[in-house]
Amino acid sequence: MNWNFETDNYIIRLPVSDQDGDALYSLLSQQTVVDHIPRMAMTLEEQATDELRRIAMRFESREAAFWLIERKIDGQLLARIGVQHINWMMLNTQMQWELSTECDLAVLTEVIPAILNVLKDDLQLRRVEMRVRAGNVEQKQHLEALRFEHEGSLPSQFEYNGEDVNLDIYSVILD
Amino acid sequence: MKFTPELEFPGGRVKPLHYDDIDALYELYQHPEIPGQRPLQDKEHLNRMVDYSVQMAATQRGIMWAIEINGEIKGMVSGFDWQPSQLRIMMRVDGLPTLTIREREKALSVCIDFLVNKYHIRNFGYQWIAGQNEDITAMLTGMGFEHTATLSDAWRIGERTFANVAQYHFISSKDKPVPKRLGDGHDDDYSPGQNLNGTSVKGGE
Repeated sequence: MNWNFETDNYIIRLPVSDQDGDALYSLLSQQTVVDHIPRMAMTLEEQATDELRRIAMRFESREAAFWLIERKIDGQLLARIGVQHINWMMLNTQMQWELSTECDLAVLTEVIPAILNVLKDDLQLRRVEMRVRAGNVEQKQHLEALRFEHEGSLPSQFEYNGEDVNLDIYSVILD
Repeated sequence: MKFTPELEFPGGRVKPLHYDDIDALYELYQHPEIPGQRPLQDKEHLNRMVDYSVQMAATQRGIMWAIEINGEIKGMVSGFDWQPSQLRIMMRVDGLPTLTIREREKALSVCIDFLVNKYHIRNFGYQWIAGQNEDITAMLTGMGFEHTATLSDAWRIGERTFANVAQYHFISSKDKPVPKRLGDGHDDDYSPGQNLNGTSVKGGE
Protein backbone atom coordinates (compact mmCIF):
# COMPACT_ATOMS: atom_id res chain seq x y z
CA MET A 1 0.00 0.00 0.00
CA ASN A 2 1.26 3.46 -0.91
CA TRP A 3 0.69 5.90 1.92
CA ASN A 4 1.83 8.91 -0.14
CA PHE A 5 -0.38 10.11 -2.93
CA GLU A 6 -1.37 13.26 -4.76
CA THR A 7 -4.19 15.17 -6.34
CA ASP A 8 -4.02 17.65 -9.22
CA ASN A 9 -2.63 20.42 -7.04
CA TYR A 10 -1.51 18.88 -3.76
CA ILE A 11 0.84 16.27 -2.39
CA ILE A 12 -0.53 14.19 0.48
CA ARG A 13 2.31 12.44 2.27
CA LEU A 14 3.33 10.99 5.58
CA PRO A 15 5.73 13.27 7.46
CA VAL A 16 9.46 12.67 7.75
CA SER A 17 10.61 13.04 11.34
CA ASP A 18 13.98 14.69 10.75
CA GLN A 19 12.85 16.99 7.98
CA ASP A 20 9.37 18.36 8.65
CA GLY A 21 9.81 19.82 12.12
CA ASP A 22 10.11 23.47 11.09
CA ALA A 23 7.09 23.40 8.79
CA LEU A 24 4.96 21.53 11.31
CA TYR A 25 5.93 23.93 14.08
CA SER A 26 5.07 26.88 11.87
CA LEU A 27 1.57 25.41 11.42
CA LEU A 28 0.86 24.12 14.92
CA SER A 29 2.20 27.17 16.73
CA GLN A 30 -0.82 29.16 15.54
CA GLN A 31 -3.60 29.05 18.10
CA THR A 32 -6.33 29.54 15.48
CA VAL A 33 -5.19 26.33 13.78
CA VAL A 34 -5.92 24.20 16.84
CA ASP A 35 -8.77 26.09 18.51
CA HIS A 36 -11.43 23.75 17.14
CA ILE A 37 -9.90 20.65 18.79
CA PRO A 38 -9.37 22.53 21.23
CA ARG A 39 -5.70 22.36 22.13
CA MET A 40 -2.94 24.77 23.11
CA ALA A 41 -0.70 25.86 20.25
CA MET A 42 2.92 24.76 20.34
CA THR A 43 5.32 27.21 21.90
CA LEU A 44 8.66 25.39 21.41
CA GLU A 45 10.12 24.00 18.19
CA GLU A 46 11.07 20.82 20.03
CA GLN A 47 7.38 20.07 20.46
CA ALA A 48 7.06 19.61 16.71
CA THR A 49 10.00 17.18 16.70
CA ASP A 50 8.40 15.25 19.56
CA GLU A 51 5.08 15.22 17.78
CA LEU A 52 6.65 13.83 14.60
CA ARG A 53 8.28 11.02 16.55
CA ARG A 54 5.03 10.33 18.39
CA ILE A 55 2.91 10.08 15.27
CA ALA A 56 5.53 7.87 13.62
CA MET A 57 5.18 5.46 16.55
CA ARG A 58 1.40 5.64 16.43
CA PHE A 59 1.55 4.87 12.72
CA GLU A 60 3.80 1.88 13.40
CA SER A 61 1.28 0.54 15.89
CA ARG A 62 -1.54 0.97 13.33
CA GLU A 63 -3.57 3.27 15.57
CA ALA A 64 -3.15 6.48 13.57
CA ALA A 65 -1.93 8.00 10.32
CA PHE A 66 -1.29 11.69 9.77
CA TRP A 67 -0.56 13.26 6.41
CA LEU A 68 0.98 16.60 5.51
CA ILE A 69 -0.76 18.46 2.71
CA GLU A 70 1.66 20.39 0.51
CA ARG A 71 0.93 22.63 -2.44
CA LYS A 72 2.71 21.31 -5.54
CA ILE A 73 3.75 24.64 -7.02
CA ASP A 74 5.72 25.88 -4.02
CA GLY A 75 5.91 23.03 -1.50
CA GLN A 76 4.04 25.11 1.09
CA LEU A 77 2.56 23.09 3.97
CA LEU A 78 -1.16 23.89 4.00
CA ALA A 79 -2.49 21.44 6.55
CA ARG A 80 -2.03 18.32 8.58
CA ILE A 81 -4.87 15.84 8.26
CA GLY A 82 -4.95 12.51 10.00
CA VAL A 83 -6.96 9.67 11.40
CA GLN A 84 -6.55 8.26 14.89
CA HIS A 85 -8.25 5.88 17.31
CA ILE A 86 -8.66 3.48 14.41
CA ASN A 87 -10.96 0.70 15.57
CA TRP A 88 -10.16 -2.25 13.35
CA MET A 89 -12.97 -4.32 14.85
CA MET A 90 -15.71 -1.74 14.33
CA LEU A 91 -14.04 -0.39 11.15
CA ASN A 92 -14.23 3.23 12.21
CA THR A 93 -11.85 6.05 12.97
CA GLN A 94 -11.68 9.68 14.06
CA MET A 95 -10.34 12.27 11.64
CA GLN A 96 -8.55 15.37 12.85
CA TRP A 97 -7.24 18.29 10.89
CA GLU A 98 -5.18 21.40 11.46
CA LEU A 99 -5.65 23.86 8.61
CA SER A 100 -3.61 26.93 7.73
CA THR A 101 -5.46 30.04 6.61
CA GLU A 102 -4.61 29.08 3.02
CA CYS A 103 -6.32 25.72 3.36
CA ASP A 104 -9.82 26.75 2.42
CA LEU A 105 -12.81 24.72 1.32
CA ALA A 106 -11.49 24.53 -2.26
CA VAL A 107 -8.36 22.76 -1.01
CA LEU A 108 -10.33 20.46 1.27
CA THR A 109 -12.74 19.58 -1.52
CA GLU A 110 -9.79 18.30 -3.54
CA VAL A 111 -7.88 16.64 -0.73
CA ILE A 112 -10.45 15.05 1.58
CA PRO A 113 -12.06 12.74 -1.02
CA ALA A 114 -8.60 11.41 -1.88
CA ILE A 115 -7.96 10.63 1.79
CA LEU A 116 -11.39 9.07 2.25
CA ASN A 117 -10.77 6.85 -0.77
CA VAL A 118 -7.63 5.51 0.87
CA LEU A 119 -9.52 4.88 4.11
CA LYS A 120 -12.24 3.03 2.24
CA ASP A 121 -10.35 1.14 -0.44
CA ASP A 122 -7.05 0.39 1.27
CA LEU A 123 -7.97 0.30 4.95
CA GLN A 124 -11.53 -1.02 4.48
CA LEU A 125 -12.92 1.44 7.02
CA ARG A 126 -16.62 2.19 7.11
CA ARG A 127 -17.19 5.20 9.35
CA VAL A 128 -15.07 8.35 9.68
CA GLU A 129 -16.01 10.83 12.35
CA MET A 130 -14.81 14.28 13.34
CA ARG A 131 -15.16 15.77 16.80
CA VAL A 132 -14.84 19.54 17.01
CA ARG A 133 -15.54 22.06 19.72
CA ALA A 134 -19.28 22.71 19.73
CA GLY A 135 -20.49 25.80 17.96
CA ASN A 136 -17.51 26.38 15.66
CA VAL A 137 -19.22 27.83 12.60
CA GLU A 138 -16.30 27.56 10.18
CA GLN A 139 -15.74 23.89 11.02
CA LYS A 140 -19.43 23.19 10.63
CA GLN A 141 -19.47 24.81 7.19
CA HIS A 142 -16.40 22.89 6.03
CA LEU A 143 -17.68 19.56 7.31
CA GLU A 144 -21.17 19.91 5.92
CA ALA A 145 -19.80 21.00 2.55
CA LEU A 146 -17.71 17.83 2.57
CA ARG A 147 -20.89 15.76 3.21
CA PHE A 148 -20.18 15.00 6.86
CA GLU A 149 -23.43 14.74 8.80
CA HIS A 150 -23.91 16.34 12.18
CA GLU A 151 -24.86 13.58 14.63
CA GLY A 152 -25.15 15.50 17.88
CA SER A 153 -23.04 16.98 20.61
CA LEU A 154 -21.20 15.13 23.38
CA PRO A 155 -21.29 17.16 26.61
CA SER A 156 -18.44 17.91 29.03
CA GLN A 157 -15.82 15.80 27.32
CA PHE A 158 -12.91 17.56 29.04
CA GLU A 159 -11.84 20.83 30.61
CA TYR A 160 -9.97 23.46 28.63
CA ASN A 161 -9.04 26.87 29.97
CA GLY A 162 -11.33 26.30 32.91
CA GLU A 163 -14.39 25.48 30.83
CA ASP A 164 -16.20 22.25 30.13
CA VAL A 165 -15.87 21.48 26.44
CA ASN A 166 -18.72 19.98 24.45
CA LEU A 167 -17.77 18.31 21.19
CA ASP A 168 -19.94 18.32 18.08
CA ILE A 169 -19.74 15.01 16.32
CA TYR A 170 -19.89 14.63 12.53
CA SER A 171 -19.47 11.54 10.42
CA VAL A 172 -19.33 10.28 6.89
CA ILE A 173 -20.09 6.69 5.91
CA LEU A 174 -17.82 5.21 3.27
CA ASP A 175 -20.20 3.11 1.15
CA MET B 1 -7.89 -3.00 49.40
CA LYS B 2 -11.41 -3.35 48.03
CA PHE B 3 -12.12 -1.03 45.12
CA THR B 4 -15.51 -2.43 44.09
CA PRO B 5 -17.88 -2.44 47.05
CA GLU B 6 -21.11 -4.31 47.59
CA LEU B 7 -24.00 -1.88 47.25
CA GLU B 8 -27.56 -2.63 48.32
CA PHE B 9 -30.68 -1.48 46.51
CA PRO B 10 -34.33 -2.32 47.15
CA GLY B 11 -34.79 -5.92 46.03
CA GLY B 12 -31.15 -6.76 45.42
CA ARG B 13 -27.54 -5.71 45.44
CA VAL B 14 -24.51 -5.30 43.23
CA LYS B 15 -21.25 -6.98 44.24
CA PRO B 16 -17.73 -7.41 42.87
CA LEU B 17 -17.10 -10.27 40.47
CA HIS B 18 -15.76 -13.40 42.12
CA TYR B 19 -14.36 -16.68 40.85
CA ASP B 20 -17.22 -18.47 42.62
CA ASP B 21 -19.63 -16.72 40.25
CA ILE B 22 -18.05 -18.01 37.04
CA ASP B 23 -20.90 -20.43 36.28
CA ALA B 24 -23.52 -17.73 36.76
CA LEU B 25 -21.54 -15.27 34.64
CA TYR B 26 -21.16 -17.92 31.95
CA GLU B 27 -24.93 -18.32 31.90
CA LEU B 28 -25.27 -14.55 31.55
CA TYR B 29 -22.91 -14.56 28.58
CA GLN B 30 -25.09 -17.19 26.87
CA HIS B 31 -27.73 -14.46 26.46
CA PRO B 32 -25.93 -11.53 24.81
CA GLU B 33 -28.18 -8.48 24.48
CA ILE B 34 -26.05 -6.57 22.03
CA PRO B 35 -26.71 -7.12 18.33
CA GLY B 36 -23.95 -9.09 16.66
CA GLN B 37 -22.61 -10.60 19.87
CA ARG B 38 -22.40 -14.37 20.05
CA PRO B 39 -22.70 -16.53 23.17
CA LEU B 40 -19.39 -17.03 24.95
CA GLN B 41 -17.71 -20.33 24.05
CA ASP B 42 -14.83 -20.59 26.49
CA LYS B 43 -15.64 -20.34 30.18
CA GLU B 44 -11.94 -19.82 30.92
CA HIS B 45 -12.25 -16.26 29.56
CA LEU B 46 -14.34 -15.39 32.59
CA ASN B 47 -11.49 -16.17 34.98
CA ARG B 48 -9.48 -13.53 33.17
CA MET B 49 -12.42 -11.15 33.27
CA VAL B 50 -12.58 -11.48 37.06
CA ASP B 51 -8.83 -10.73 37.20
CA TYR B 52 -9.27 -7.73 34.95
CA SER B 53 -12.22 -6.43 36.96
CA VAL B 54 -9.96 -6.10 40.01
CA GLN B 55 -7.03 -4.62 38.10
CA MET B 56 -9.20 -2.15 36.21
CA ALA B 57 -10.90 -0.86 39.34
CA ALA B 58 -7.58 -0.53 41.17
CA THR B 59 -6.16 1.60 38.36
CA GLN B 60 -9.40 3.49 37.66
CA ARG B 61 -9.73 2.26 34.11
CA GLY B 62 -13.01 0.44 34.57
CA ILE B 63 -15.26 -1.19 37.13
CA MET B 64 -17.60 -4.18 37.11
CA TRP B 65 -20.33 -5.38 39.40
CA ALA B 66 -22.52 -8.47 39.30
CA ILE B 67 -26.25 -7.77 39.82
CA GLU B 68 -27.72 -10.16 42.37
CA ILE B 69 -31.48 -10.52 42.84
CA ASN B 70 -32.72 -12.92 45.51
CA GLY B 71 -29.29 -14.53 45.71
CA GLU B 72 -29.14 -15.16 41.95
CA ILE B 73 -26.83 -13.34 39.55
CA LYS B 74 -28.97 -11.83 36.85
CA GLY B 75 -26.73 -9.28 35.24
CA MET B 76 -23.73 -7.03 35.33
CA VAL B 77 -23.10 -3.31 35.56
CA SER B 78 -19.89 -2.23 33.86
CA GLY B 79 -18.07 1.07 33.70
CA PHE B 80 -15.43 1.32 30.99
CA ASP B 81 -13.38 3.97 29.18
CA TRP B 82 -13.01 5.60 32.60
CA GLN B 83 -11.18 8.93 32.28
CA PRO B 84 -10.47 9.93 35.88
CA SER B 85 -8.91 13.29 35.06
CA GLN B 86 -11.85 14.18 32.84
CA LEU B 87 -14.37 12.93 35.41
CA ARG B 88 -16.19 10.74 32.89
CA ILE B 89 -16.98 7.09 32.23
CA MET B 90 -19.13 4.95 29.93
CA MET B 91 -21.66 2.66 31.62
CA ARG B 92 -23.29 -0.53 30.42
CA VAL B 93 -25.71 -3.07 31.88
CA ASP B 94 -26.03 -6.64 30.64
CA GLY B 95 -28.78 -8.85 31.98
CA LEU B 96 -30.48 -12.18 31.71
CA PRO B 97 -33.93 -12.08 30.11
CA THR B 98 -35.37 -12.33 33.64
CA LEU B 99 -33.71 -9.08 34.76
CA THR B 100 -36.49 -6.49 34.76
CA ILE B 101 -36.04 -2.93 33.58
CA ARG B 102 -36.80 -1.73 37.09
CA GLU B 103 -34.06 -3.96 38.55
CA ARG B 104 -31.69 -2.83 35.83
CA GLU B 105 -32.40 0.80 36.64
CA LYS B 106 -31.93 0.38 40.37
CA ALA B 107 -28.63 -1.46 39.90
CA LEU B 108 -27.28 1.15 37.49
CA SER B 109 -28.46 3.95 39.71
CA VAL B 110 -26.75 2.67 42.85
CA CYS B 111 -23.48 2.24 40.93
CA ILE B 112 -23.67 5.77 39.50
CA ASP B 113 -24.34 7.19 42.96
CA PHE B 114 -21.27 5.39 44.26
CA LEU B 115 -19.06 6.65 41.42
CA VAL B 116 -20.31 10.22 41.92
CA ASN B 117 -19.65 10.22 45.63
CA LYS B 118 -16.48 8.13 45.80
CA TYR B 119 -14.65 9.13 42.63
CA HIS B 120 -16.34 12.46 41.80
CA ILE B 121 -17.24 11.27 38.31
CA ARG B 122 -19.63 13.78 36.74
CA ASN B 123 -20.20 12.58 33.19
CA PHE B 124 -21.81 9.17 32.64
CA GLY B 125 -22.21 7.96 29.06
CA TYR B 126 -24.34 5.07 27.88
CA GLN B 127 -24.49 3.67 24.37
CA TRP B 128 -27.70 2.02 23.24
CA ILE B 129 -27.23 -0.03 20.10
CA ALA B 130 -30.09 -0.24 17.63
CA GLY B 131 -31.71 -3.62 18.09
CA GLN B 132 -31.42 -3.68 21.87
CA ASN B 133 -34.53 -3.58 24.04
CA GLU B 134 -36.09 -0.15 23.47
CA ASP B 135 -37.31 -0.04 27.06
CA ILE B 136 -33.70 0.68 27.98
CA THR B 137 -33.89 4.08 26.27
CA ALA B 138 -36.96 5.01 28.30
CA MET B 139 -35.18 3.84 31.43
CA LEU B 140 -32.19 6.05 30.65
CA THR B 141 -34.24 9.19 30.06
CA GLY B 142 -36.22 8.44 33.20
CA MET B 143 -32.94 8.39 35.13
CA GLY B 144 -31.92 11.80 33.80
CA PHE B 145 -29.79 10.67 30.86
CA GLU B 146 -30.09 12.83 27.76
CA HIS B 147 -29.91 11.52 24.21
CA THR B 148 -27.01 13.57 22.84
CA ALA B 149 -26.06 11.96 19.53
CA THR B 150 -26.88 9.14 17.15
CA LEU B 151 -23.74 7.65 15.66
CA SER B 152 -24.38 6.13 12.23
CA ASP B 153 -23.04 2.63 11.66
CA ALA B 154 -20.85 2.89 14.72
CA TRP B 155 -21.44 -0.69 15.85
CA ARG B 156 -20.42 -3.59 13.63
CA ILE B 157 -22.74 -6.57 13.78
CA GLY B 158 -21.45 -8.63 10.86
CA GLU B 159 -18.76 -8.76 8.20
CA ARG B 160 -20.13 -5.64 6.48
CA THR B 161 -23.28 -4.90 8.46
CA PHE B 162 -23.55 -2.17 11.06
CA ALA B 163 -25.98 -0.68 13.56
CA ASN B 164 -26.48 2.88 14.72
CA VAL B 165 -25.56 3.81 18.28
CA ALA B 166 -27.62 6.23 20.35
CA GLN B 167 -25.36 7.93 22.85
CA TYR B 168 -26.78 9.18 26.13
CA HIS B 169 -25.14 11.24 28.85
CA PHE B 170 -25.99 11.99 32.43
CA ILE B 171 -24.13 14.94 33.97
CA SER B 172 -24.11 14.89 37.76
CA SER B 173 -25.11 18.13 39.42
CA LYS B 174 -22.56 17.58 42.18
CA ASP B 175 -19.80 20.19 42.30
CA LYS B 176 -16.43 19.33 40.82
CA PRO B 177 -13.77 18.37 43.37
CA VAL B 178 -11.51 21.19 44.54
CA PRO B 179 -7.79 20.36 44.65
CA LYS B 180 -6.41 20.28 48.19
CA ARG B 181 -3.00 19.85 49.78
CA LEU B 182 -1.56 16.36 49.89
CA GLY B 183 -2.88 14.61 52.95
CA ASP B 184 -5.85 16.88 53.42
CA GLY B 185 -9.34 15.64 52.91
CA HIS B 186 -9.08 12.42 54.90
CA ASP B 187 -12.41 13.23 56.45
CA ASP B 188 -14.21 12.60 53.19
CA ASP B 189 -11.71 9.94 52.07
CA TYR B 190 -10.61 11.97 49.09
CA SER B 191 -7.25 13.56 48.40
CA PRO B 192 -6.33 14.53 44.88
CA GLY B 193 -2.75 15.05 45.94
CA GLN B 194 -1.65 18.63 45.55
CA ASN B 195 1.14 19.70 47.85
CA LEU B 196 0.99 23.42 47.39
CA ASN B 197 3.21 24.53 50.25
CA GLY B 198 5.53 21.55 50.41
CA THR B 199 4.48 20.35 53.86
CA SER B 200 4.42 16.67 54.58
CA VAL B 201 1.39 14.45 55.10
CA LYS B 202 -1.09 15.68 57.71
CA GLY B 203 0.08 14.73 61.16
CA GLY B 204 3.70 14.22 60.12
CA GLU B 205 6.69 16.49 60.66
